[in-house]
Amino acid sequence: MDFLNLSVSTSWWELSKPPLDISTNGHLIDSLFVYTSVLAVFYFILVCIGLFGFSYLYSQKRNKTPYYTYGNKKKHLLVTAFIGAAVFLSVDLNITRLSNNDLLDVFWKWPNPKTEKVLRVEVMAQQWMWSFRYAGPDDQFGTADDIVTNNDLRVPTNTKILFHLTSKDVIHSFFVPNVRLKVDTIPGRITRVWWDANIPGEYDIVCAEMCGTHHYLMKAKLTVYSEEDFNRWRSTSEKLALNANDPDDKNLAWGWKWEY
Amino acid sequence: MSGGYNEIHPEPTTFWSKYIISFDHKVIAKQFLWYGIAFLGIGGLMALLIRWTLAYPGEAFPVIGHLLFPNSAGIVPPDSYAMLFTMHGTIMIFYAITPILIGAFGNYCIPLMIGARDMAFPMLNMLSFWFAFLSGLVLLASLFLPLGAAAGGWTSYPTLSTMIGSPGAGQTLWCVAIFLFGVSSTMGAVNYVTTVITLRAPGMGYFDMPLTVWGLWLTAILNAIFVPVLGAGVILLTLDRVMGTTFFLAGASATSGSGDPVLFQHVFWIFGHPEVYILILPAWGIVSDLLSFFSRKPAFGAKATALSMTAVSVLSTIVYGHHMFTTQMSPLLTQSFMTLTMTISIPSAIFFANWLGTIWKGSIRFDSPMLFSLGVVFVFGLGGLTGLHLGTVTTDLYLHDTYFVVGHFHYTMAASVLLGGYAGIYFWFPKMFGRMMNETMAKIHFWGTMIPLNGIFFGMLMVGYGGMHRRIYNPFVYDSLKRLMPINEMITISAILMGLFQIIFVINFLWSLYKGKKAVNNPWNVGTLEWTIPSPPVHHNYDVIPVVKCGPHEFGNPNLKNGRDFQYQTEELVQGPA
Repeated sequence: MDFLNLSVSTSWWELSKPPLDISTNGHLIDSLFVYTSVLAVFYFILVCIGLFGFSYLYSQKRNKTPYYTYGNKKKHLLVTAFIGAAVFLSVDLNITRLSNNDLLDVFWKWPNPKTEKVLRVEVMAQQWMWSFRYAGPDDQFGTADDIVTNNDLRVPTNTKILFHLTSKDVIHSFFVPNVRLKVDTIPGRITRVWWDANIPGEYDIVCAEMCGTHHYLMKAKLTVYSEEDFNRWRSTSEKLALNANDPDDKNLAWGWKWEY
Repeated sequence: MSGGYNEIHPEPTTFWSKYIISFDHKVIAKQFLWYGIAFLGIGGLMALLIRWTLAYPGEAFPVIGHLLFPNSAGIVPPDSYAMLFTMHGTIMIFYAITPILIGAFGNYCIPLMIGARDMAFPMLNMLSFWFAFLSGLVLLASLFLPLGAAAGGWTSYPTLSTMIGSPGAGQTLWCVAIFLFGVSSTMGAVNYVTTVITLRAPGMGYFDMPLTVWGLWLTAILNAIFVPVLGAGVILLTLDRVMGTTFFLAGASATSGSGDPVLFQHVFWIFGHPEVYILILPAWGIVSDLLSFFSRKPAFGAKATALSMTAVSVLSTIVYGHHMFTTQMSPLLTQSFMTLTMTISIPSAIFFANWLGTIWKGSIRFDSPMLFSLGVVFVFGLGGLTGLHLGTVTTDLYLHDTYFVVGHFHYTMAASVLLGGYAGIYFWFPKMFGRMMNETMAKIHFWGTMIPLNGIFFGMLMVGYGGMHRRIYNPFVYDSLKRLMPINEMITISAILMGLFQIIFVINFLWSLYKGKKAVNNPWNVGTLEWTIPSPPVHHNYDVIPVVKCGPHEFGNPNLKNGRDFQYQTEELVQGPA
């Protein structure tokens, strides 16, 4: 009965908070979640007041004579219509607008490697591992000087990282809880996602889409470096890459030409 | 109205024709009920195996673990775990909820509540059950294959569900089983739609139908339109698996040609989203009626409730894309599906208001069917409102495929439908079997279900928000998920408790069948047509087809002078002095 002991020391609300937000834009998703939850809790409290309040006030014991009405009087219809309209105006329009703004202003505003500092990474998912590819000194993908890593993604802080992803076999989903984003990797298609991490450290990358027996083991390590540390790692890896990359190794030769 | 085929069939005389190949809607309803309850038990046991694995990874399942998994010392192995959650979803949706809510209540209630002697097509009705039976056998048989049953999730997304990801025959049998079930559902649906349209008693307009019939009718319409879409999808998937076609294959492993795996998701969810409402509409209908019956006052805004349910049914057909936000559809589609999804909350808010309006100023009797109905209002409130987080694209990007989704759809589909189903069983049991169920046990069952149920599903919302993703065998291989251990343990203990309390229901059900107090014709004092005839009804239901003269919710009319507080639908509405 571990759960009883732990509940004394740490509250469950504390435990169920999402993991540390390490991205510049994850707060948009967290705050929209909280905003939606506040609205949901407000309406749920109204439902509960009705449910428990009426159950208490109008039990057979307290109210012998029910009020004979079909609920089709003008004031009844007005109240019902008001509730429908209130939900639409206060909840739906608000969260749809906020979410749409975030999509257009941030999550769908794809960084342009030509005009800003962007790290491009190609991601290949397969049962049950993640492979990452960085363009080498020639700035081209699918060439012998690419840095290729397995289950090991390293990125710098304060840099937009743009991922192009696909899958070799079945559908997987590239999910980094610490930046709040996920995108499916689909065989035969290239999907994309971008984020900007700003807290150095090591985090989990998980596969969120059921992909077979060892779906639960399909995890990769995300290392966020300071920019200097990243550059140091990158230049070391570039030197090693030319020796490490064997063009005959089919498992490594999966890169594709980057297109926008 | 009543223009259809409504003559008295001769009563069957042999055991075979009476109980097995029965054409009688009441017997077929009971067949579906037993079938559904049996599968509910199997699916529930699977849920416990899943929960045990998540809370105590690497520990043998108690009592029967060694029997089920002798090769792994009683521990659920990862491949079996995938089969378990796949089968749990499939069984609960298609083989437990559908037979109980649609097969049993649809068959039992529709003809009785609209004053018909049977369904419009009794033989189709019989075939509907036996196709479902065959389908169940195929599905269960797949559990005993060398490579086991289907293990790609109940959604069976390709390419995992094609030969690339699932080489065993289990997935093929899954497709066959689902197709057979689709045939069964379609036959049932066509039958229900026709019955409601043609066999309503004279005088019964659409808005004189009980809301239960409204819910079942809308369900049947959605079923008739969308189940065939799923049928087409699983046929294409079967062709990909056995005939070498490539409808859903793509990528490096698709060596024989290229199609599109996302196409299947579109086909699946065009069916799959209406399916959610297919399952919940009968429960909404039952709850809308029972709240009125046990508050002893007319259903508040019954017409608006019926129309809201209709609006939800229509909207349910154009929102399915919200299941696919993470596949990166075109931005225009994404935005459209988000906006359309949100509009569902308007009709939902209206019938919630009407439900609360119904109990407002009522004279509420807290009998077990009423307790379960009030429970539905509570859990569907939670389930519906958590849908907001998932219909919104950006929050969905975080929550999609986490336990938040699992908690959300269990609140809407599992909790609400289960409680609605129990409300219906406790309510119609006297009519079905001629005996009353034990009320004390029913109340213990209610609280023993309601409290752990919220522990389970609210716990799932919490771990999901905490970042735990779905369908993982062992969450604790992730350091970041270890902190959620205590909540996972709480969920599992709640699930075991809830499972144990269902035993009380089974005992009550079986005991009451034989030893329950004999039921009078109308134990709940309700005016709908089925309560005007004996419990259980005779073979042809109505000696004389009733003539309907008032609505189904006539309670508490102050002008009533005959000592009753309700009117039968066959009675002229009592008017006050002019």
